[in-house]
Amino acid sequence: MSEGDVVAIGVERPQPWRGFVWLALRECHRVLRLWTQTTLAPVISSLLFIVVFGLSLGGRISTIDGFDYEVFIVPGLIAMAMAQAIYSNNSSTIFQARNDRYIDDVLAAPMHSWQMNLGFGVGGVFRALVIGIALTALAAPLTGAPLENPAALLLAVALLMAGFGALGIVVGIYAQTFDHISFVNNLVILPLTFLGGVFYSVDRLGSPWEQITHANPLFYVVEAIRYGFLGSSDVSAWIAFGVIAAIAAALIAWSQYLFSTGRRLKP
Amino acid sequence: MAAALKLGGLTKRYDDGTLALDELDLEVPVGSFFGLLGPNGAGKTTLISAVCNLIRPTAGEIAVFGLPGTSLEARRLIGIAEQEPNLDRFLTVRETLIYHGGYYGMMREAATERAEQMIDVFDLRAKRDVRAPKLSGGQRRRLLLARALLHEPRLVILDEPTAGVDIELRHELWRYIRRLHERGTTILLTTHYLEEAEALCEEIALISSGRIVARDSADGLKRHYGVDTLEQVYLKSVATGRLAHERIEAETEAEAAL
Repeated sequence: MSEGDVVAIGVERPQPWRGFVWLALRECHRVLRLWTQTTLAPVISSLLFIVVFGLSLGGRISTIDGFDYEVFIVPGLIAMAMAQAIYSNNSSTIFQARNDRYIDDVLAAPMHSWQMNLGFGVGGVFRALVIGIALTALAAPLTGAPLENPAALLLAVALLMAGFGALGIVVGIYAQTFDHISFVNNLVILPLTFLGGVFYSVDRLGSPWEQITHANPLFYVVEAIRYGFLGSSDVSAWIAFGVIAAIAAALIAWSQYLFSTGRRLKP
Repeated sequence: MAAALKLGGLTKRYDDGTLALDELDLEVPVGSFFGLLGPNGAGKTTLISAVCNLIRPTAGEIAVFGLPGTSLEARRLIGIAEQEPNLDRFLTVRETLIYHGGYYGMMREAATERAEQMIDVFDLRAKRDVRAPKLSGGQRRRLLLARALLHEPRLVILDEPTAGVDIELRHELWRYIRRLHERGTTILLTTHYLEEAEALCEEIALISSGRIVARDSADGLKRHYGVDTLEQVYLKSVATGRLAHERIEAETEAEAAL
C-alpha cells in the first residue's frame, strides 16, 4: 500500500507542528501546575538578594562603574535566576519523563526529533521569562536600575535561554538520579555565576583572578545582561555575545544529536 | 495489499551485548488479530519497541502499511499500550488523552471530543479529573488502552495488556479489544497467557531467543506439533528454538575462534 492509499482511505496526514505545539503547551502546563516552586520561589529568593545585599549593604559600598551597588547587582541576579530556572526546568522535565517512561508517548508520536527537542525546552523558556519579567518589574522601581539597551538585553536573554536550556536537556538525558541534576546546578552553575561578577566588577580584581574570571563562561552571560540593562560592561558586549552564542550553539548541537540519534533516550 | 507490519532481518543487540532480536522476519496481515507469544526475555517487547521508535534497531527493515517504519506517516498509524503503565504524572485522565491526541496531530476540538468518548468507553468518567498517580492499577490499564486508541490508529500494539490484572478486568479488556478488531483494526498482541492468545488471536507467532520459531493458527500449531494444547506447542517450539539458537551461537563462536 502506498502513502497515497493510506491518505485516500481517510487517515489524516501527520501534523508534526501540531504535535510540537501540544508538547510545548504540556511543558508550560507543568510549570504552571508547580508555580510556587517554579516561579514564586526563585523570584522571592532573588528579591531577597537585592534587598539584603543591595539595599542593606549597598550604602556602605561606593559606586561601581558609576552605578550604585544595588543597581549594579540587579542584572547579574536576574541573569542568575533565569539561567538556573531554565536549566532546572529542562533537566528535571526530561529526567522525570525518562524515569517514568512517559517520554515514550512523545518518542512514538509523529514529530521530528528537533520538534521534540524544542518542545521539551519551551517550558523552561516560559519559566525563565516569567521570572525575568517579574524580577525586572519589581527590582527596577525598587533600585532605580535603568534599561539602557532593550535590544541588546533581548539578544542576551535569548542566548542565555538557548545555552542553559540546551544544557538542561543534555543533563536531563544523561542524569541517572536527581542528584546529578542538582550537582550541576549547585556545584557548577551557581558557583560560576557568583564568581562571574554578579556582586563585583572584575576590574577590581587583581591578577591572576581577573584573568581567571575571563575563563569563566558565566562571566560573559552576566556581562551581556548587564550591558543590556546598564549600557556598560567589563568586557566588550560583542565579545560577551560571541562567547555565549558559541557555547549555546555547541550545547544545542549536542542536545539535538541526542534526539536525532536517540542515544541515551532509547536503548 | 501491503502487510500492516512487515519486519525483515530485524536485529537488536543492546549495548551490554545481549542479542534481543536475531534477524527476525515477520509479516502481520492487514485486519488480522495477531498474537506474539514467548517467554520472558524472548524479544517481544524489544520487537514492538523497535516498531514504535522506542529503541534503536541494530539492523533490519520495518514497514507499516508499506511505509518506512521511521516515517512520520507510519508512526501516525500505530497506537501502542506498553506493558508498564507509563502515564504523565502531571496530567489528569482527560488531559492525558487530549495531549496524546495533540502529539499525534489532532486539533483541540477533535482530541477533546474523542477523549470524552474514550472516557465513557473505558468507564473512566468518575476519574476524569484525577491525575494518573492517583488511579488504581486497573484504571491505569484502561487509561493506557484508551490513550493507545485515541488517535484512531490502524495498527494497535498491545504489550501484555492484561499482565497483573484481575480476571474481571481481563475479560473486560478482551471485550474492548475484540470490538476494536471487529471494526477492522489490525491488532498485534504480545502475551504470555496462552489462553489469552488462544481466545483472541487468529494467528500466533512463537518467539524464542529473538527469532520466530513457529507461526500458525492455534489449531494449526497444535496439528503441526502433534499435540493437544497450546501449552504443549509452546513448550516444544520454544525449547526447539532455544536449542537451535544455542547451536548457531556456538557455531558462530567456533568460526570466530578459527
